[in-house]
Amino acid sequence: MTSRRAFLQRSGLIGLGFVAADALATSERLLAAVPGLDPGDPEVPNEEVARILKDLFGDRPIRKGHLTLDMPVVAEDGRIVPVIIESDLPMTPEHYVKAVHLIVDHNPDPHLAAYHLTPAIGSVAIQTRIKMKRTTWVRAIVDTSGGDVWAAYAHVNVSLNGCG
Amino acid sequence: MAIGEARIRIPDRITRGDLITVNAIVMHPMDTGFFRTAEGKPIPAFFIRDVVVTYGGEQVARFEWTSGVSKDPVVSFTLKADKEAPLAITWTDTKGGVYRQTADIAFTAA
Repeated sequence: MTSRRAFLQRSGLIGLGFVAADALATSERLLAAVPGLDPGDPEVPNEEVARILKDLFGDRPIRKGHLTLDMPVVAEDGRIVPVIIESDLPMTPEHYVKAVHLIVDHNPDPHLAAYHLTPAIGSVAIQTRIKMKRTTWVRAIVDTSGGDVWAAYAHVNVSLNGCG
Repeated sequence: MAIGEARIRIPDRITRGDLITVNAIVMHPMDTGFFRTAEGKPIPAFFIRDVVVTYGGEQVARFEWTSGVSKDPVVSFTLKADKEAPLAITWTDTKGGVYRQTADIAFTAA
């Protein structure tokens, strides 16, 4: 005889299985929607981030490198989280970084800032302070005059929601 | 400080060709639209969305911001100091408020 508890446990497990399969399918679909990402990169968490990446970079590969994104591992106060973005890419009239995009995956407005640069800026060394809603991946992605796309990622644990 | 008050900090001594760091701050609430007052009234979104940097009248950078940038936004970036000319930053907010600050890039005698 199947006890009620065992039945519930089993159906619960089956339920979990469905949820997991569904989540897996969703993440695979989102990854497919952003063709440029490497398998080892932070998963694209939702349609909005997928759309932002697609709109900005199309089908171009988004490769890790030439860029550092310095952020705290733990942000006590999500209202003020320091960000430092630096790159060793050249800033000459022939080859330069056109734009730096800052994307915070789980913020209400994930595409937090875009910094459009010219060779007169001389280097990519941007510092600012941002708000973060909760623990998430942050993406700094640069677009170069030659069409190459370079990225750096940081995982930030947020203790206090800074977005309301 | 009042909304829109701004400061630009550049090095005291600059030689032609230096790569200098520019620090800028502007006073602004950067309201997201997600918070309420103590009385429960929603606070509408109100933030700086556009920042233009010119050097000798020429645009050298432009930033697009959202309310995700912290209150009283700070930004720092570099500039190739290759001419004696004013550096100007103009911040524009979502209510059409325009705030401007300048710093004169001048070279110290060698």
